[in-house]
Parts: sequence; structure tokens; C-alpha cells
Amino acid sequence: MTKDLVVEKSSQKEIVDNSAFALRVENLSKIYDSTAGRVVALDNVSFAIKKGEFVSIVGPSGSGKSTVLNMVGALDRPTSGKIFIDGIDIFSLNDSEIATMRNGRIGFIFQSFNLINRTTVLKNVKLPGIIAGMSPDDVNFRAVKILEALGIADKRNQKPVNLSGGQQQRVAIARSLINNPTIILADEPTGNLDTKTGDDVFDMLKMLSHKFKRTIIMVTHNPELAESTDRSILLRDGRIEKDVIN
Amino acid sequence: MNPKDLFSLSFEALVDRKVRTLLTILMVVLGSSLVVVLNGLSAGQAAFLEQQFNTLAANVLFVGSGQRSLSSFASSSSNSLIINDVIIQKLKSLPNVSDVIPEYTGSVQMNSEGNTQRASITAIDPSKLTVELPNLSYVDGSTINPGDRSSALVGDTIVNPPGADSAFVVLGQTIKATATYTDSGKQVTVVKNFVVTGILKPSGNTGIDRSIIINLDAGNELLHKQNRYDQVIIAATTPDDVDTVQQEITGMFGKTLGATTPKAIMAVRQQAASGNAAFILMVGIIALVVGAVGIVTTLYNSVTERIREIGTMKAIGAQNITILALFLVEACLIGVIGASLGTMIGIGGGYIMSIVTTTSPPTGGGPPIHIPPIFVPTDLIKVWLLSLTLSVLAGMYPAWKASKLSPMVALRRE
Repeated sequence: MTKDLVVEKSSQKEIVDNSAFALRVENLSKIYDSTAGRVVALDNVSFAIKKGEFVSIVGPSGSGKSTVLNMVGALDRPTSGKIFIDGIDIFSLNDSEIATMRNGRIGFIFQSFNLINRTTVLKNVKLPGIIAGMSPDDVNFRAVKILEALGIADKRNQKPVNLSGGQQQRVAIARSLINNPTIILADEPTGNLDTKTGDDVFDMLKMLSHKFKRTIIMVTHNPELAESTDRSILLRDGRIEKDVIN
Repeated sequence: MNPKDLFSLSFEALVDRKVRTLLTILMVVLGSSLVVVLNGLSAGQAAFLEQQFNTLAANVLFVGSGQRSLSSFASSSSNSLIINDVIIQKLKSLPNVSDVIPEYTGSVQMNSEGNTQRASITAIDPSKLTVELPNLSYVDGSTINPGDRSSALVGDTIVNPPGADSAFVVLGQTIKATATYTDSGKQVTVVKNFVVTGILKPSGNTGIDRSIIINLDAGNELLHKQNRYDQVIIAATTPDDVDTVQQEITGMFGKTLGATTPKAIMAVRQQAASGNAAFILMVGIIALVVGAVGIVTTLYNSVTERIREIGTMKAIGAQNITILALFLVEACLIGVIGASLGTMIGIGGGYIMSIVTTTSPPTGGGPPIHIPPIFVPTDLIKVWLLSLTLSVLAGMYPAWKASKLSPMVALRRE
């Protein structure tokens, strides 16, 4: 884990200090065996993402974008290969340790927000902190501060279902930030929003990356948004076709 | 996750599905209240039976015509012997018998200054009353002289009927007793006045408290018994001789005369009551199990409906045990609320049921018998814990299923 890593970057090879990486993906493969046949969803994919980098993963449907995101988010296990977050081989961990890893080091932003509508905005944002066992005062303080930073502190006592799509996605972003994770995984975060609101949400992610040095990996279909990120990884048929610095 | 947050999230989930939660709680309430009611009524009945027989002397036997049924005082008519003075003399001749006390029993219409009520009547040699009822005592007055055919002793419930503002009769007052019998197809009415010479203290034995006691000869005349006794009380020399005397009577009279002891009657009745209690308790437990199945259904549906939420919770780091605990706390809350409400409703229901099921006395008249339920705190706690345990057990499978869901699979579900 301490050895330096060779990263392909626009056909150039660069030796990068290992500690600068938030995420390293090594020879990742995922094969689904079913009655319909054998499907290679990911084929020997490797890449690394530096701390504070805003990376988009793009590609056509079935290219393996979501599979990569699920693996990086430790929601699924690969057939082979390794993923390191903060230098930790996440699949060497047991289920309980992986859950702790997801809680502390990974923030999730979903296309359809995935908020708990029966409870308040504030409680939704606090939830990962509550799960982490953060003290009630700390988690409350952090949640309010983040909501203020994202401009929705006034909505804290409302139910998410009463908010607009853009506001709900901000709540989801706030939730992803509460435990100060190493990486934030955003799965089509603007997919359910109109263009204007989608742009606002994207700008917010960009601001988090640039101003607050957050590492963000965003899966998107939108090439324009992808070009606006620091780096785009284009997947096709389970392989990296291009890895471009924008 | 700390217990307060766990409780808060589970409670919110239950409130979110108000109607379904309330219906599930209702199932637990029905089950636990049913068990509480039945337990209370059974305990009340058992205590009532014990009280009835505790007032009787330990050395007495009851003898009646024919084989006596142990479950009731009624006797079968086939192959039975008429109990008259000849039989009495034969019974007196048996060894280990210290006394033989014949009785006439029946029911009469009592009239006191325009007020009427039906009452049981027992005609007995008044000097032998304490042989059967050693603890007999008087509120006022004293026993009847053996030759006095116009005096009566009156039980407490006759004097003070439940719900009445004033006493039905007082000491020294004359009461009119009306009895009817059938002679050659014609109904004959006999009316006789009695002076109340003694009012009995409440004994707890409904047979005594609801009775009027008169002289043997007066009873023979009023009830038109023609010297045919209804029942004979036999006092054995000691309580240990009771079984021997019973065997002697069976040996002498076979099945034409039946003898039983208060202990045997009580044992059979208690056994019957226990059998009933076990049956109705089983019904209650079945109701509780039905409630538990309701919890399984509710929580299982809840898991299916909240599958994405479970996926999200897992994605943001919830451990399997946290998800398990969330659903178990929901089951636990349903159980606690259902069991607590069920216990309270069961106690109230027990009292209402005991009033609704107030029955007429089995022999003759008098006010209805009200057997209050008895709720033993330890029994209530047991029912509460049983309801809670069943609820938590019912929540186990859905909770386990939720906890084992793959986050990726859960997040994909619509």
C-alpha cells in the first residue's frame, strides 16, 4: 500500500505519491454468472483519484459505470481486484467493518435523493452522524452548519417530501457531508432535476470540491457536466476507454 | 446508534403507518385482554368455590337420593331411594357417625311489607345448624327453638339484597312465605308466616347467605314434603372418618343413596374450573398468537415497502444489527403498547364480564350471584411479558430479513 502507483494519464505515465490518493482501484473485475450467460461488467479496471479531485465517470448504458460506483461505495464485492480508500483495502474488511467504512469515509448522493420522508430534513442530515455514534450536540451543530452552507437551513424542520427536487438533493448532499467522508459518490445527482436546478446542484458539488477540497466521484450521462469536472473517466464495455483531465 | 435515536426512528416509522400500526396493536390488545379477562374470571371463580366450602365443617357428608353427581348437588332419579325416617335411623346406626341431620330444601316467594323476592329455604333441626356450619353467627337475634314452627333465620343477602336502599326485613318482623307444589296435576299454594328471630352474618357461602332457615316440621308443612327428606347431613366422628362413612353408606345402600363430601365436591368443581380455565386460557393464547402473526405481516410488509430506505440506511453505514434493532424496537413498541392497553382493558373487561355474567342461584331464589374477578399482579405481569415476548418473537423474522438485505439489491428496488 505504501508503494508508489503508476497512473495512466492521457497516455502519459506519472509516478504519484501514494498518500495523495483518496481512492485507488486496482485490476477491478466483476463477472455476473446467470442462466442467461456470463456477463463481464468490469474487466480489469484500474484508476486512482487524488484527494480533492472532482471526477466524472461517463459511458453508455451497460458500460459499467454503476458497477464501479457500487464497488467503490462498498455496496458490492468484486470478482477480483482491490479498492483502497485512504489506503485501506476495503474488501479485506468484514461486513461490519465495511459498514463502518461506508459510514465514516464514503458519502452517497443518489439520483432519487433517497431521503426518509417521514422525518425532518435535519434528522435526515444527522442520520449518518447518529449511526456513527456522534454526540447529539456535535451532530446537531454540524448538520445545521452544513445546511446553512448549502442554503437550506430554514428548511431544517420540514419533511423532505415538502421540498423541491433541488432542495431535496441539497439535503442529500448535506447528509453525505455530515461525517466528513474521504470520498463522495454521486450517482446521476442531476438526473431527476430540471436543467437549471441540475446546474445549481452541480455547481454546489463543484464548490464543495474546489472550496472545501472534497473528493467527488460523479456518474453522469451528461457530457457537458462531465467536461466541467476536473477529470473524466470514460467507460465502455467494462473497460476504461479514456481517462481525461479536463 | 444510541437507544434514544433507535426508539425515535422506530416510533416515527410506526406513526408513519398509523392505521396499520393501530390495527396491529389492536390484535395484541385483543389477545392480551382476553387472557387477562379469562385469568381474572377463573381466579375469581376458584376463590368463590373455595369460600363456599370453607364455611362447611370438615367432618360432614351430604347424602341424597340416588347416585350423587359430584359436579352438582342434583341427584339422578333412576333407582333412587326415598329418604325417610327409616333411612335416617339406618344411617344413625352406622359406625363412626356422630350425627344425622335431615333437611328439606326448596324455594319460596318471600313477602315483607309489600316487597317480594324469591329465596331458597332450608328446613333443619335448628339445634344442629352448627354441626354443618361451625362458624355460623348472628348479626342480630339467635337461633330458633327446636319446637318453634313459626320462626325463621334469614341470610344476609336476603336481608340486604344487592342494590336495595333499605333492608328487606328486620329482626322481629313477620314475613310471608309462599310455596307451590303440584298435587294430582293441580297447583297448590301454601302460605305461612314466620317471625324473623335471627339474622345471619355474611358467611361467604351463597347457599347460606341466600337462604331462609326454618324448623324441620315447618318446612315439611310449607314445602309439602310428606316426610321425604331432600338431603341428609351426616357428621362423622372425626374428619378422618369421612371416607370410611362414605364407604359404609355405599356398602349399605349401593347406588340408591349417594354420599359425597364437601372436599370431593370442591375438588371436582375446582378440577372442572381448572379445565375450563385451561381451555379459555388456550383460546386467549391463540388470540395472542393471531396478534403475533399480525405483527409478522405488518412488519414484513413494512420491510418490503421500506426496502429502499433499508438500502439507503445501509449505504450510509447502518450495521446489520442496527437495522435488526430498528425493526425489533418497532415490534417491541407494538408489544408494549398492545400488552399495556390489553392488560388495562382486560381488567376493566373482567369486571364488566363478571357483572354481565351474574347468574341466578342454582337452588331456588335470592338475588343473582355475582362472582368478582381476581387479578393477581404476578399473573398480570406474566400476561404482559407473554404478549411482549410474542410480539418481539413475531418481529424477529421480518427484522432478520431486513438486516440481511444486500444494500445494493435494496437500493435498486423501486
